[in-house]
Amino acid sequence: MPQERRSLRTGFLRSAEQHPERPALQLDATVLSYRALRERAAALAQTLSAHAPAGEPQLTAVFAHRSITAYAGVLAGLLRGHGYVPLNPGFPTDRTRGMLVRSECRSVIVDAHGARQLDEVLAGVGTPLLLLLPEHDDVSELAALWPQHRFLGARDLVDAGTWVAGPVDVNAIAYLLFTSGSTGQPKGVMVAHRNAVPYIDAMVERYAVTEHDRFSQTFDLTFDLSVHDMFVAWERGACLCAPTSGQKMFPGKYITDCGITMWFSVPSTAVLMNRLKMLKPGKYPQLRFSLFCGEALPIEIVQKWADAAPQSVVENLYGPTELTIACTLYRWNAQTSPAQSEYGVVPIGEPYPGMKLLVADEQQNEVAVGEAGELLMTGPQLTLGYYNDPQRTAAAFVTPPGRSEVYYRTGDRVRRPAAGEPLVYLGRVDNQIKIQGYRVELGEVEAILRQEAGVDVAIAVGWPVTASGADGIVGFLGAEHADAAAIRERVIARLPPYMHPSELRLVSEFPLNANGKVDRKALLALLARQTEAVE
Amino acid sequence: MSEVTCTMQESEIRTKLRNWIVKHTKAASKTAFTDETHILEEGILSSLDIVEFVLFIESLRGEDVDTDDIEPQVFTSINTLYAAFFTQVT
Repeated sequence: MPQERRSLRTGFLRSAEQHPERPALQLDATVLSYRALRERAAALAQTLSAHAPAGEPQLTAVFAHRSITAYAGVLAGLLRGHGYVPLNPGFPTDRTRGMLVRSECRSVIVDAHGARQLDEVLAGVGTPLLLLLPEHDDVSELAALWPQHRFLGARDLVDAGTWVAGPVDVNAIAYLLFTSGSTGQPKGVMVAHRNAVPYIDAMVERYAVTEHDRFSQTFDLTFDLSVHDMFVAWERGACLCAPTSGQKMFPGKYITDCGITMWFSVPSTAVLMNRLKMLKPGKYPQLRFSLFCGEALPIEIVQKWADAAPQSVVENLYGPTELTIACTLYRWNAQTSPAQSEYGVVPIGEPYPGMKLLVADEQQNEVAVGEAGELLMTGPQLTLGYYNDPQRTAAAFVTPPGRSEVYYRTGDRVRRPAAGEPLVYLGRVDNQIKIQGYRVELGEVEAILRQEAGVDVAIAVGWPVTASGADGIVGFLGAEHADAAAIRERVIARLPPYMHPSELRLVSEFPLNANGKVDRKALLALLARQTEAVE
Repeated sequence: MSEVTCTMQESEIRTKLRNWIVKHTKAASKTAFTDETHILEEGILSSLDIVEFVLFIESLRGEDVDTDDIEPQVFTSINTLYAAFFTQVT
């Protein structure tokens, strides 16, 4: 098949032909072969298409969580020639309804998790929807309750035998993924087939994926790193091992029991595993590759992980949804990497094949090697922008002065220390704040907090907030019992006065956002609430 | 620590486990939590809570929990937790 004709589903369909009886999906004790998963997906696709609402957009929503319906639903959207829109039963229903309405989807696949929230989500949805609940035998009650919508259940499923692959426009949306926007209104990132295919090609080649590999699946479908899990695995006939809620809580046992060979998670998962004493040396000899993405990767955690998985190559991936899953990567080397790390954080390395980067100042002019700047990138993984939002698209997808291509502004600060050295991640552009007029990199304060407190996670926020930045810094340490005063004294000894934390707080746990990353805004909100309470 | 554990009654341990979960859960219906409630259901405890909860169980037992050997099913309910971690202590 020529390159330009391939879409996100192509690899799965080819694997289903080449390895029909090999496992494609493992969910607890249930194993689905490629043949079974393809049949299930085709049945869902056929059923929806037989009743398709006239004039619906080329998008199918999947309101499901770690079920056969969830994964078959993603594939069903693609088999229809649509893009899929993941909706998360773990999210507040108002947020889910907002995503559903703004996506303009008319067809929705719902599993048992989603069904429990359906009443709340549907309240206030005016457009008539087609809802397929393949795990429900009887949908008459729902149909009576919501006469404006059409419901289909297990009995309505049509035979998938007649399904044939229709054409797919490689420029069309493969998945529409909502990311949190700074204004509080999630933005729908449109990722095209022609963005996803080069990513998958780069990954299967780099990791020499085979049908014997077994992939972890730690990310919710609303987190775009899940696209890697599913479609890199299925491209080469490997098995995707979705953890149960119990397995997700005990990742060490999940790796061992499922025989995972390809691990992928946020660094926070490794931090938790370390606290639960799951990173003992030599514990996971079957891991071939361990990938981390989504937040800064501390070197102490990589060192522990590398000892626990001695056969595994460890890589740090970096990338926003707008550049398709990940767009730079770095291979950990126990000898050379510590010296290449800044602020105790592993470098983000080099761009993916075909991707170009620009480290730029506020006017989008390239800065000299060695200087910090905002990372801008372009290339085949540059997505189509934000759905129905030309204004925000134009603000983030820009043509820098003197360039002809459109680049995406990541909002991340990076630096290339010297020519030939890997790119290092310094934090969000907005993590660099002005404190009493001084430019302060909060990541630097956090690195020193981590070192002096001996903790895995430390967060520094500018507080109290002023019009121009902040008056000072409050530090949060992930430790229940520690001598905050003594730590503060050691920290102060290493920082200039304007970077001194005015206060250090011990927290037994950090608030996490929907994607499992530390939620800085929630920490600021906490400080704001406590100030109000005092005043 | 272990002497304290040995003198602790079954009902006292169960109450401590239940109170800990009710205090930490983000789930809406705290009052509905019983000794049969499925602890690892989505929304009852976060993965961060589980870390703290395991440390809490260790403090009650006075001995470490080997996380390599934990079957997630042990966290099905207060009943299964008690059976797995506390029935051999006394």
